[in-house]
Amino acid sequence: MTILTQGIYSFLCVVGFSIIFNLPKRLIFLASINGMLGWIVYALLQQTSFAFIIPPLIGSLVVGIFGEFCAIYKKQPATIFIIPGIIPFVPGYEIYNTMLFVIENDFSNATISGFKSLFIAISIACGVVIATSLVKHIRLLSSIPK
Amino acid sequence: MSDMTIKKIINIALETGKIMLQNGAETYRVEETIEKMISSRIDSHVEVFVMSTGIIISVESEDTPFTTVSRIASSGIDMEYIARANSFSRVFTEGRMSLEEANIMLKQLKSPPRFPKKVRFFFSGMAGGFVVLLFNGSFIEFILAYIASSFTVFFTDKLSKMGFNFFIKNIIGGFIAGGLGILLVLFMGSFNQYADYNKVILGPLMTLVPGVALTNGIRDLISGELIAGSAKMMEALFIAIALAFGVGIVLQIVLSLS
Repeated sequence: MTILTQGIYSFLCVVGFSIIFNLPKRLIFLASINGMLGWIVYALLQQTSFAFIIPPLIGSLVVGIFGEFCAIYKKQPATIFIIPGIIPFVPGYEIYNTMLFVIENDFSNATISGFKSLFIAISIACGVVIATSLVKHIRLLSSIPK
Repeated sequence: MSDMTIKKIINIALETGKIMLQNGAETYRVEETIEKMISSRIDSHVEVFVMSTGIIISVESEDTPFTTVSRIASSGIDMEYIARANSFSRVFTEGRMSLEEANIMLKQLKSPPRFPKKVRFFFSGMAGGFVVLLFNGSFIEFILAYIASSFTVFFTDKLSKMGFNFFIKNIIGGFIAGGLGILLVLFMGSFNQYADYNKVILGPLMTLVPGVALTNGIRDLISGELIAGSAKMMEALFIAIALAFGVGIVLQIVLSLS
């Protein structure tokens, strides 16, 4: 049940970000579906008490792969589908916490959440890069004549 | 091929690349696009070097090099531009277009359709509001974050139109996000409705956080584009610092008052 509501929330959230990024109208639906899939995977993984790096990595991997296939299908650059999709993973909360700790003069906690947000960002980027190169290789392999 | 035509082709490719880079495309994609566009028309060696702050193109034709350098000031993220520039470069590369036609198309590329202001206002609130729900916020926090993010995006749009420097813009953006969040929470508090201001501020903040610059930067770094990647990362870092500064001022005031 929570997964269902989380799916709806993430879908609407990505629609909002798509409008902020001024996506072409006809592509917003696919991009939002993409973001929803990614967030559902993320939420499911987070429940199973993985380390904090795994959920954003796998989530953005899903967003990346689905986005690349959308890109081939719609003949548009993949960024259009990937960027709004990964935004919910972006460690805004950790960045905010970092700043809060700095204000409270709690520098050891600030360092912890600062590094946490850096590593989450790296894992998001890794997921997208892995997805991009995976799809590229699949395309190359399938285009080689037998 | 005459020098004039070569220059024209380079210019068209440069303008297309510029549009893409200014609106948040990855550097490798811009390099690829420019290279493809030029080498589809000119049969000689092409070198393209793209950073997030500039583009250098060099084409060697019959031992005379043509080189162009262009400075870029990024203007935020706008996918409509990227989509249009991409399909333009596709048609251009297939050779179904004369150079004059291409120039006319380029002019049209620079004024893409935008969502009406009301639509943008309504949906930008949605982005911030639902982020709060994703992080287990309550319904009241959702409504407050919705209102705060609508206004934050509205004001930052205004600021970028006025041509503010990105650092100042984000300080003011963070200030508005934090200020609105806390004011709304205090307002609800006077009706005995409790809302956590940490969660409310998260909504408008997420609409400003440099997530795209951060991930694009790391992507560039991973794929070996060290200069472009570091430049993007620095941009992201300084946007984050500016936001922290803006929100920090508000929180500092509130914390010292209470």
